[in-house]
Formats: sequence, structure tokens, C-alpha cells
Amino acid sequence: MGTARNGDEDVVIKASLISKYFPGVIALDNVDFEVRKGETHALVGENGAGKSTLMKILYREYSEDAGSLYIDGKNAKGMGIRQVRNLGLSLIHQDLNLVPVFTVAHNVCMGLEPVNKLGFIDWKELKQKAAPYLKEISSDIDLDAKVEELSNSQQQLVTVARALVAHPRFLILDEPTARLDQKSTEALFDFLDRCKEKGITIIYISHRLEEIYRLCDRITVLRDGEKVLTAPVQELAQTELVKHMVGRELKQQIPKGEASIGEVVFSVRNLNPMAKAKDISFDLHSGEILGIVGSIGAGKSEVARAIFGADRKQSGVIRMQGEELKIRDPRDAIDAGIALVPEERRKQGLVTTESIRKNMTLPSLGKNFCAGGFWIKQRKEKEAVAKSIKDFRLATPSPEQEARLLSGGTQQKVVIGKWLLSDSKIYIFDEPTKGIDVGGKHDIYKMIVDLAKNGAGVIFISNELDEVLALCDRTLIMFNGRLVKEVINKDTTKNELLFYVMGGKDNGSKSG
Amino acid sequence: MGQKADNWNKFIANYGLLLAFLLAIIVFSLWSENFLRWGNVQNILIQTTSLGVCAFGLTLIMMMGEIDLSYAGLTGMIGAVMLKMIMAGYSPVSVVFVCLAIGMASGLCIAILVVGLRMSSFMVTLAAWFIYMGLERYIGHGVTHWIYKYDENILKIVQGHAGPLPVPIIIMLGLFLLCWLFQTRTRTGQYILALGENIEAVKEVGLKANLLKGGTFVAGGLIFGLTGLIETLRIGGSMVYSGRFLLIYALGAVFLGSAAFKAGKYNFPGTLLGALFFYTIINGLTLNMVKFYYIPLVQGLFLILAVAITTVKRGEIEQVQF
Repeated sequence: MGTARNGDEDVVIKASLISKYFPGVIALDNVDFEVRKGETHALVGENGAGKSTLMKILYREYSEDAGSLYIDGKNAKGMGIRQVRNLGLSLIHQDLNLVPVFTVAHNVCMGLEPVNKLGFIDWKELKQKAAPYLKEISSDIDLDAKVEELSNSQQQLVTVARALVAHPRFLILDEPTARLDQKSTEALFDFLDRCKEKGITIIYISHRLEEIYRLCDRITVLRDGEKVLTAPVQELAQTELVKHMVGRELKQQIPKGEASIGEVVFSVRNLNPMAKAKDISFDLHSGEILGIVGSIGAGKSEVARAIFGADRKQSGVIRMQGEELKIRDPRDAIDAGIALVPEERRKQGLVTTESIRKNMTLPSLGKNFCAGGFWIKQRKEKEAVAKSIKDFRLATPSPEQEARLLSGGTQQKVVIGKWLLSDSKIYIFDEPTKGIDVGGKHDIYKMIVDLAKNGAGVIFISNELDEVLALCDRTLIMFNGRLVKEVINKDTTKNELLFYVMGGKDNGSKSG
Repeated sequence: MGQKADNWNKFIANYGLLLAFLLAIIVFSLWSENFLRWGNVQNILIQTTSLGVCAFGLTLIMMMGEIDLSYAGLTGMIGAVMLKMIMAGYSPVSVVFVCLAIGMASGLCIAILVVGLRMSSFMVTLAAWFIYMGLERYIGHGVTHWIYKYDENILKIVQGHAGPLPVPIIIMLGLFLLCWLFQTRTRTGQYILALGENIEAVKEVGLKANLLKGGTFVAGGLIFGLTGLIETLRIGGSMVYSGRFLLIYALGAVFLGSAAFKAGKYNFPGTLLGALFFYTIINGLTLNMVKFYYIPLVQGLFLILAVAITTVKRGEIEQVQF
């Protein structure tokens, strides 16, 4: 990387040897990060590499456990959000931190509302003040509209306008396009081009290669909390970049015997969910584990929810063993033999104040555990649950333990277990291992492998390429709402997966 | 057609409670000719005062997504302290000052525990209620004393008139206006609402969310101190556990109020309406010699109605989840 002595006085953000620890995790390990005046600096890395943590440290939402940070030549130690904002640093979050009941104008000017002599907010002036900032980024959002009435895409644009009110000289954007539609993405890029012309320094976090190469001057790659390198964008080929992000490939050990893949049992044709995803078609065989990968906002969950009837769909045909299914709500899907283990298990998959036993038998009570469709066969229920607890190695003192008292991993196993008792034919798992420790993950993999062995079809949705690579037989890759690539897992590498997940195009050289 | 039904839903959600209130007034005035007499209207307003004031404090705190039940015990304890002071011959000014100071100190303690130590506001203020009940017994020995025997001057605070209106009504309406303007027109008031809606949005723009939260607890405590003062003066003495009835009624008024004007959201005009509603029902039914046990029954039915209204409103926004 050479010694860029002459560049030193241009460095406006200088983080040296930053470390940050969370319970059980090293989020950042002695990371050096330098940004030069007026450049657009991409920060890339896989999920959990530490990008957002580093940005939150720059914005003083977190304080570092070790290391030093200088912004515009000033030591930022002990500063709060307000002080760094005054230094001219603004952060545009992944999360839409807006006040839903306030108007667009009010959200844009939040914290800097103009007041009249009585100390009352001057709503007219507030609106005038907000107008030019919003106009920078969008021309079709009504300043008087409540934020809760806007689409996700529009809300994200409002957060951009809000960042501008502080007249930033340094702008951090954390995956800004994940929530944006095509038109708004264009608007954002135009805006960022104008920012560059004005000499504003930009730090840009993204999972999309195309954006990085279109917008950025230099790149810093993080991997597992460590910095891998910083380099000018044009000196780094796309495949090269992906290789740095992945690092040495560690094949995960997943106990998986020879899969016996059978006939097509389930097929989806031209499925159009209400939002995000478009024109999804694929087949699923019995005994097969089919992975679906893609970054946040690629539309994976939308596909799952549309298949399951949890969200309405615009159009599309779903067939089970050749027979067309009419799925209007989850009940129809369950009756047809489809099970969905949702992403947010506490919210969507678990009655947290009820016992493990009741949670586990809930979806199949009527089908398997009721006499005359009314009285619960308690003995049969208890036997089945006791067997599941043993099979899945649930860490619980008793089947009567309340679900909310269990660890995250055990909760997830209960959610999976309850669908296993329902004897479904198709299982859809949406990020089943998110936030779960290693041991718990392995038990879940084993449950899934066993399902497939018994002839069920499994759809496995995940952000974590390692586990998809090791667990699945075949993988579909989604980018921007579309299926862009299908790969057979034993013939692919993580590099290849990541390349397509980040929107790499086929005509680029194939990665090795 | 869908648009029309939507507007109608919105109208009912926002003004349904007000319509129900007007309907109750019409029914009561047809039923009893005394109901709309100015004297009776004043009566209703005066009776509503301590409930209204208390409910304003509670609205402020519930608006930021927290709860404070301490007023249920604080009112009685302040009554006991007041009587001690009056019997010892302290001036009305110092009595008023001490009441308000106790309220603020209570709010500050709650703020330290809830904001500083991140304890649950429900549990902390439930405990505070018990503690204040205990202190009340300790200070007043559970004996009822009447103020007029010791100091008639201080009673003028609630018995006097300012212009055509009795002082309690002015206190209640004045506090209402103050809270309402503060919450809807000032930056701090708007931030308090924002705290309840999305605290991250407040933090992200560099505002001191914890300070705001703590300050709101202190302001709530101040209003609860005022509640204790007014309630004790209105009764004219220290009654054992005098604040207890407020517990349910103040919560009821705030909830009922959340079904009015800005359906599903706590707001001050709604709270005022809710408080007035409770006492209008009590008054109207009592005037017509309805047996006392029907009163809570009717009030309960109105609470159900309020919940039904907010549920309709929420139904518009919520998506199907399984």
C-alpha cells in the first residue's frame, strides 16, 4: 500500500487501533480506518464484519473500548452525538429512526425546529426550512404528510434530508439502497454526485458491487472485526474484492450424508409478492434442501411470506405434486402441508408466555392430538413432546417451562419442533440460525437434514453464505427482488455466491 | 366507496367519544331539568378538578411510553403532611410550596430509578404507591383531621372565586391549557411525544433523551403534588388513603381520552374529555336517583366503547400477521 505521506494532511477522519467488545464477541479488533477529504470511501464486509459498529463509533453512538479517533483534527474521545454533529458529521442509519406521527417537515428539522418569541414552534418557518433539504433528494414527498403514511423508500429519503439539515461535511450512509426502489436509488446517486462536487466527504456502506464501483474512490474491507485492506477502487477487480471479503474458506462441518433427491414436489411459477420481489419461479424436489440467499432488501422473506399466505400476492401459481394450490392465508398453507419457520421467532413464531408443550403442539392440535376434534389427547401430546425434547436436545428443565425463559437457540428449536410434529411436506426456514450460538446452530442443521432425509422438501433462506453452502444441495441467489442465479452447491464456492449476492454480472470473469 | 367508508371510520375514531359525551348530556338534560343549570355544571367541573389535574400529569408520562402510578399514594401522603403543617401553624404559602416540592422530589426519585438504573416504571411506581401509603399512615396515624378547625385561610384556595369562575375550575382549565400548549407547540413537548413514538429518533439527532425522560417524570411529580394539594383542600381534611380512587379513574380518563380526537394516541383534550365524562355520568345518574352501584357499570360500558373505537382505528394500520 505504500506510504502516502503527501496524503496525510488530507486525512479528515482517522481511527487508530479501534477495538470494541460485546459480551462474547470481539466486534472490532485493532482496526485502523482513514478517510481523506472529499473522497467517497466504501466500507465493505460480510454480515457481522463490524461495519455498522465502526460507523456507530464514529457517530459516537458507541464508545470504543480501545484506540483513538480524530475527526477533522479533533480528538473525538468523550464527545457525544451532538458534538460530532456540530463538527459536521451525519449518519444515515439502516434503521429508519423517524417519528411516525410527525410530519415529514418536522422529522427533517427534528432537534433544530425554529421557534417564535413565545417559544412555540413556528410551523410555517419549519416547513420552509425543511423544503430545500427535501428537494435535494426528492420532489414528490409532501412536507405535510405524516411519516407513517410514506413507503419505506420515501422514509429512507426523509432520513437523508434530515442528515442534511445539520450541514454535514462528512456523510456516512449505512446500506442506504437496501430499502430504496429503483427511482429513489437513482435520485440518491444523483444527490451523492452533487455532494461530491461540493467536496463533502462520504463513507458508503453497501453490499452491492455496482454501487461501490459507480460511486466510490477507495475501499476498506473488514472481515471478522479486522481490517483486511484499504485500496483505490480502480486497482481492485470485483472478483478480487470478493475474495478479500471472504478470506480463507473454512468448510463448515455439517453432518450430512448422501442426499437422496427425488421428484419435483413443489413448484412456484411467476410469483409476484405485493412488494420487493418479482417474477419468482423455481422447483423443489423431495429430499432436497434448497437455499435462497441475498442481502437485506433482496426480497427473500417476501417470497417466503407470499408462498405461505402470510402476505397477499399479486399473482403466481404454486403447485404441490402437480396440483395447483389456492393459498389465501397461512391456514390454507398449513392444510396443504407447508410450514414456515419465520425470521422473528419471538414475534411471529412463539407464544412466549406459554409452555414448551403448548407451543409445540399448537399447529397440529386438531390434526394429530384431538379426539373428536375437541378434547385434547393429553397423554399422546405429552409423549410426543417428551420425544421431541429428547430428539432435539432442548435445554429445558421440563416440558411445562414457559417459552420466554428459554435461550434464543432453544426457542428457535421449539419453533422448528412444533412444525415437525405437524408432518408437513414442505418446510420453509427464514434465517433460522440468526443470533444463535454454535451448538444451537448444529442441532438446527441436524433437524433440517433429518427432515430432508425423511423425504420433505426444504427451503432454507439465509444471509450466511457459509451455512447455505454447507447445508443446501442447490442455491438460488436473489438480487434486487429477482432470482439472478442458480448454482449446484457441490460445484460452487463462497466467492461465487458472494459475487452474485452483491450483484456481480455473469460476463465478468468467473471467480476461483 | 372505500374512500367514503374510510373517512367515516376516521371520523368515528376521532370524534366518536365526543358524540357519545354530547349524547349523554342530551339524555341527562331531558331526564332532569336541573342537569344543565349553571350551578350543576359548576359542580361537575369542580368535582372533576383533582381527577383532571392528576390525569394531565399521567398523560404526559404515558405519552412518552412510561407509566407512573405513584399518585395513588402520593395524594394521601401529601394530605397527611399538609395537616401536620397546618396544625403546627405554617402559612398557606409554605404549605403549598412543600406540597409541590414533595411531588417534584418524588418524580426525581422515580426518574433516577427508571432512567438512571433502567428499572421498570410500572414496578417502581407501584412500589412508590405502597411506600407512600405506609408513610401516610406513619405521618397521620390514620386519623382524619379537618382543616377548618385550624386554618380557614388556606381553604380559600379552593373555595374562592376569580371573576365568575370558582378557583378549582380555573386551576384545572389553566393547567389543561398550559399542558396542551406545551405539548403541541413547544419543542420539548414534541420531543416528549417523540420519546414514546421512537426513542431512537430522538437520540439520533443528538438530543438528550434520558434527560428529557427524567425531566418529564419530575414534571409529572409536580402535577401529582398539585393533585394532592387540591384533593386535600377539596375534601377539607386528610382522609385515609384519599388518593386511592384516583388510581382507576385517572388511568380510565387517560385511556378513554386516547380514543378521542387523535384516536389511539394519548392527548390532553381527550384526557380532559375523559375526566369530564366520568363525573358527568356520576352526576347525571345521581341527580336522577339511580342506585349508586349502576354508576361504575355505566362507566365500564363506556370504557369498552372507547377500546372498541381505538381497535377499529388500529385495524386500518395493522397488517395481517400470523
